[in-house]
Amino acid sequence: MSSPATGRSLGLLLCLDCRATVRGAKASHPHCPRCHARLHVRKPHSLIVTTVLVVCAALLYIPANVLPVMNTRTIFDDEPDTIMSGVLVLLQSGSWPIALLVFVASIVVPLLKILALGVLLYSAWRPSPHRRLQRSELYRMVEFIGRWSMLDIYAISLLATLVQIQSFASVIVGWGAWAFAAVVVLTLLAARTFDERLLWDTPQHD
Amino acid sequence: MPVIVCPACDLAHRLTTAPAGGRGQCARCRAQLQRRENASIDTAIALAVCALVLLLLSNAYPLVAMQVNGSSRDTTLIGAAAGLYAQGFKSLAALVFLTTVVAPLLQIVSLLYVLIPLWRGRRAFGQTSVLRMLTRVRPWSFMEVFMLGALAALVRLSNFAHIAPGIALWSCALLMLCLSALTSVTSTEQLWRWVEESRE
Repeated sequence: MSSPATGRSLGLLLCLDCRATVRGAKASHPHCPRCHARLHVRKPHSLIVTTVLVVCAALLYIPANVLPVMNTRTIFDDEPDTIMSGVLVLLQSGSWPIALLVFVASIVVPLLKILALGVLLYSAWRPSPHRRLQRSELYRMVEFIGRWSMLDIYAISLLATLVQIQSFASVIVGWGAWAFAAVVVLTLLAARTFDERLLWDTPQHD
Repeated sequence: MPVIVCPACDLAHRLTTAPAGGRGQCARCRAQLQRRENASIDTAIALAVCALVLLLLSNAYPLVAMQVNGSSRDTTLIGAAAGLYAQGFKSLAALVFLTTVVAPLLQIVSLLYVLIPLWRGRRAFGQTSVLRMLTRVRPWSFMEVFMLGALAALVRLSNFAHIAPGIALWSCALLMLCLSALTSVTSTEQLWRWVEESRE
């Protein structure tokens, strides 16, 4: 079976900065003639960088969910809120669409992203000709939904800014919010450093 | 015949004249290939000017005001980041500031900086670097996510306080729509196509 013509087999490079297709990448350090960006056959060190980012994100996912993201301090008591208890507060206030939105964006999406990136990394380390289309679509989904996890960070920042009423209540940001933001940023970076073309590179048989 | 490669799976395709507005899909991984739709540079400039005005409004007026026990507090877009900073979460404040204020502003200003000279048949100083910066900054502009986050915060607050939406909340909502329209008419491919057309 002959392998299909790819950019790599034809000696064509795609500039990731301006999307130009550049022919004849014979120079040792080719640059894009249109936007002068450095050109690479594949994103350099893609697998190792993405793996490190995903591992860090997975580790931080634990404090992000266990530590309080904020504390509501009133004259009577001090009430810590984790991400999950924040969702429950929304649910109790009767606005289930918003509760569902926050639940999906802050709990489901980060977890799914870490798992999906893990699956993608595994299949890029060990390329197989099976289910490549599904994996490609999985990557596109990860890229598309990633940014929505920032939603809770913005909600917390507004709550912490608005609720500062000395005699009544004040909201103090917790380290869980920091860990959560770090998870979101790390997974966003991981999705960006991952070169999806690796999923389609046929295994090299020597 | 010119050849393009799929950005998602590296498969080579012959570039045939696709129908205008048609969306070419990669035969192997179904990723979207170069779009052939030709937005006009006038539309892009109009949207960018509109977004700039909305961005200024969004930062000049309060987003929401909250009334509890007779006292009132309000905040602006920058105020949300400043609140985090005041509590000692500097990196978190920087993240919120960058994604809701700096990135949208840079996106709009750099587009106008490049597009207005192109529209007049000229070339902005440092055009290449500005365009490359734009493609790097654009994915970090999170206006639409901020809007939904604000909505979630307001629902929580409405349990125990009276919430009055400010001018900036409405302008942020419009800005979100305007930015997504702007991003879709100024895809990276489209921007460089305008640059190449101006060279001819």
